[in-house]
Amino acid sequence: MAFWTLYKRELSSYFQSVVAYIVLFGSALAQGMVFITLTNFIAQQNYKDQSVFQIFFTCAIFWILLFVQVPLITMRVFSEEFKLGTIEMLLTAPVREWEIVLSKFFGALTFFLILWLPVVLDQVALQLFSNPPPPVSWGQYGTTALTIVLVGAFYVSLGVFTSVLTKNQIISAVLCFALIFATFFVALQKWQQHLDAFTLSWISYVSLLEHFGHAVQGLFDTRPIVYYVSMTAFVLLVTQRILLGRRLKG
Amino acid sequence: MIEVENLSKTYSGVHAVRNISFHVNKGEIVGFLGPNGAGKSTTMKVLAGYLPPTDGKIRIAGYDVITESLEVRKRIGYMPENVPLYTDMRVNEFLRFRAELKKVARRRIKDRVETVKELCHLKDVGSKIIGTLSKGYRQRVGLADAMVHDPDLLILDEPTIGLDPNQIRSVRDLIRDLGKHHTILLSTHILSEVELTCGRVLVIHRGRIEASDTPANLTRLVRGGGSILLEVKAPSADVVARIQPLPNIEDVEIVLPGTGDWTVAKIFAKPGVDVREDIFGVVRQNNWPLRELARVKATLEEAFVELTQD
Repeated sequence: MAFWTLYKRELSSYFQSVVAYIVLFGSALAQGMVFITLTNFIAQQNYKDQSVFQIFFTCAIFWILLFVQVPLITMRVFSEEFKLGTIEMLLTAPVREWEIVLSKFFGALTFFLILWLPVVLDQVALQLFSNPPPPVSWGQYGTTALTIVLVGAFYVSLGVFTSVLTKNQIISAVLCFALIFATFFVALQKWQQHLDAFTLSWISYVSLLEHFGHAVQGLFDTRPIVYYVSMTAFVLLVTQRILLGRRLKG
Repeated sequence: MIEVENLSKTYSGVHAVRNISFHVNKGEIVGFLGPNGAGKSTTMKVLAGYLPPTDGKIRIAGYDVITESLEVRKRIGYMPENVPLYTDMRVNEFLRFRAELKKVARRRIKDRVETVKELCHLKDVGSKIIGTLSKGYRQRVGLADAMVHDPDLLILDEPTIGLDPNQIRSVRDLIRDLGKHHTILLSTHILSEVELTCGRVLVIHRGRIEASDTPANLTRLVRGGGSILLEVKAPSADVVARIQPLPNIEDVEIVLPGTGDWTVAKIFAKPGVDVREDIFGVVRQNNWPLRELARVKATLEEAFVELTQD
């Protein structure tokens, strides 16, 4: 099936470019530094309320990292093909538009998840080298990993969408960053004064701050799953329509 | 194989192609000829399903280019102008990737890739990264890509641009060979190429089709298909005065008025009439010393210039 062919090509193309290795290196370095800092903080302050892992996925640096990573990964997916003209080869092959969009999306999502593997290693190292080792809580790991996948999928879909709009990678990255930031901005509105209960419930429904807050506690909630999956599907559908529109409308 | 009816294509208000219609039958090799910016590439992009037409109907192998795009794309091998390729891939890897995309059966992929590499003389660069290849090689990788799924119809946009004379010759032979089993539409500005490879020529100019005929017929269109070259020892004025009144003569043009006493004249006769005997009669009557009396066939270049001049 064309999807697999394209997906394999998409994923391998990340490892053919220098940018990917730099993003990978930068992410691993930042994640490691934050992890070490938090570990030291907990050890020195004798802080007992939260684990390193729980603070990590709710602290500001985590968001910054997330917001920068995604545009860097997705900015090239379509923009580069437009710029180099290779889109012409791609679109004149007997391939459906949704196969192209999905392969680019899953390729980028896979690479995004690879970027978060170093955190697993950090956690493993913490278990191995600290005395006594911190308690293992698979439930929390599971819900956090799921939330990373869901939020990642939504953000990557936004990046794929902004990439299909332009052949300029910088524009694509900046637009993607703006859209991602907008979703975060909505979550921040929670602290506004004089909000009625209805608005508040909506904010908390879409707030990724709350989603991660719950996830690190091992709370399994189906509402964010529905939210992220449906949003991702919607954005990808719009992307597919835009790509298809190029062929249909003269 | 290709049926184009009233195709128009407008880019933000500019007419690239205006209301053109043409047919290409199965097994034909058709050359698309025209100056830069005439609308050749645009037409080819529309045929390949990359650009949507602004207006008109196009059917390829019986399928509509817009509504049955996938069926059309399965049956064509398209090589775009400038040959955009994934420069980070190796030649083998790229051709395998394209074969998979074009739904070549898994067990046939290896075979097909080897075959097209053989045909396009890419054997020795199979493991090279495309980005490191020269223009000529990239061109041939693009051609190999277009053929890898053995399509019924090949649409080649300037397949020989950027190649050296030897490579041009080998691509030309290849196209002629392919033409035995495939339908080919190719665009080019190289006129000798069209004359040698194409069974029919479509001359396109300013988005319109100016002529559609065999190269031989096209050249015949130009001032009766040729001229007669005459070199005699006589004053230019006399030559014109004596030959012009002959029957079936359309025009007498002095090419070289008297180097020494010699005059070189180009004589255009009505189509299909041989006037050499009459001319010789005039020469004999006047006792002009004769150096040359020859028929000069019009070239496709002249046809091209005549058809696409403003």
